[in-house]
Amino acid sequence: MCAGLAAALLGCAGAPAERETAEASAEALDASLAADSAAAASGYAPAVVPIAAEQILQKVKDGRGATLVNLWATWCAPCRHEMPALLTVARAHREDGLRLMLVSADFDDQLPAVRRFLASQAVNETTYIKTGDDNAFINGLHRDWSGALPATLVFDASGRLTGFWEGAADENRFEHAVIAAIAETHPPEEPR
Amino acid sequence: MNRNFFVRSTLAALLLTVGVALAKDQAAKSAGTAKEVVVKSLAIGSPAPMRGVKMKSVDGTEVSLEKAAGKNGTLVVFTCNHCPWAKMWQTRVAAIGNAALESGIGVVAINSNDPADYPEDEYAPMQERAKLLGFKFPYVVDATSSVAKAFGATRTPEAFLFDAKGKLVYHGAVDDNAREEAAVKEKWLNDAVQAVATGKGVTVAETKALGCTIKYRESNKKTS
Repeated sequence: MCAGLAAALLGCAGAPAERETAEASAEALDASLAADSAAAASGYAPAVVPIAAEQILQKVKDGRGATLVNLWATWCAPCRHEMPALLTVARAHREDGLRLMLVSADFDDQLPAVRRFLASQAVNETTYIKTGDDNAFINGLHRDWSGALPATLVFDASGRLTGFWEGAADENRFEHAVIAAIAETHPPEEPR
Repeated sequence: MNRNFFVRSTLAALLLTVGVALAKDQAAKSAGTAKEVVVKSLAIGSPAPMRGVKMKSVDGTEVSLEKAAGKNGTLVVFTCNHCPWAKMWQTRVAAIGNAALESGIGVVAINSNDPADYPEDEYAPMQERAKLLGFKFPYVVDATSSVAKAFGATRTPEAFLFDAKGKLVYHGAVDDNAREEAAVKEKWLNDAVQAVATGKGVTVAETKALGCTIKYRESNKKTS
């Protein structure tokens, strides 16, 4: 409800640059949704790119929009359980500029299982798999993250962390966290 | 024209303000905000909390951390049966725990998971696992998950080592490679246990590793 209202209003009152970004995002969304459908039909396995903690933080600060980062693994039952809710929310907010970064904590030789699971969820966005030492990766991403999976971090477009939790979440929780990040990304203008 | 534009702009801005305020309000009410969910674990130098709480061990006895404490220190490991990462480290936990006992360090392995989520974490499978691994130390049930909460333990496995004075001197992972024991470069927990056993200072006091979230019992959950 709020998401729809905020998104509609943002479309009305956003600066030209924001509108262009939103339009570009909408085009990307259309392309992505079409690809999603094709992926679901064909069982296409998405790209899984190795990524370090600092690279994640660089991406979330690039100003392209709010970002939802989810750390998961094929062996983690709560991670698999929450994935449909997470994807529902992420897809619903693509046109608000939300970027989804799914980062697998599986071992490299589990990549086939990672791809199978992502394909089963009709994920066709580029996704990631963590690289390097666990201790450095965990501390590099967020000092309050204990290493427990799943873990979710939500950033606004400036790369500021607006939400963080460990453990599985439901759609409601993802939705509220994402809305908060998007709201921070597009602060209201003062009446003239 | 200009007046209409002014009215529309003002209205849009007001609506936007309301919309964003509502969104923030909703977000603040959500359990997903950072303030509500960051779990602070026990700080280095702290004493063990809830030392008097009795927990049922796999041999049927009631064990408290106070009762289990050794003259040289106490090792508390939050672990469980079901977690793949706990399984990968379980033989090392058994070996380190058994050796620690021999060195005058009391050892308690605690399962704080809600078995409703994972039947593998029921009492009977815990008994089987302890026997299989040759635990010489208690493997106990944290029946309300309150001990895990008091420690700020969030994952399995997660170790807390206290010295002879009862102060936390190590908190974290077993070592730096769950999967391949032969490829381990940093034996953090083993090194810390050795240091405590000989009255020396611990070199690396805090480490992290990936692991499973502790599934707190329903009446005591912090996360969904």
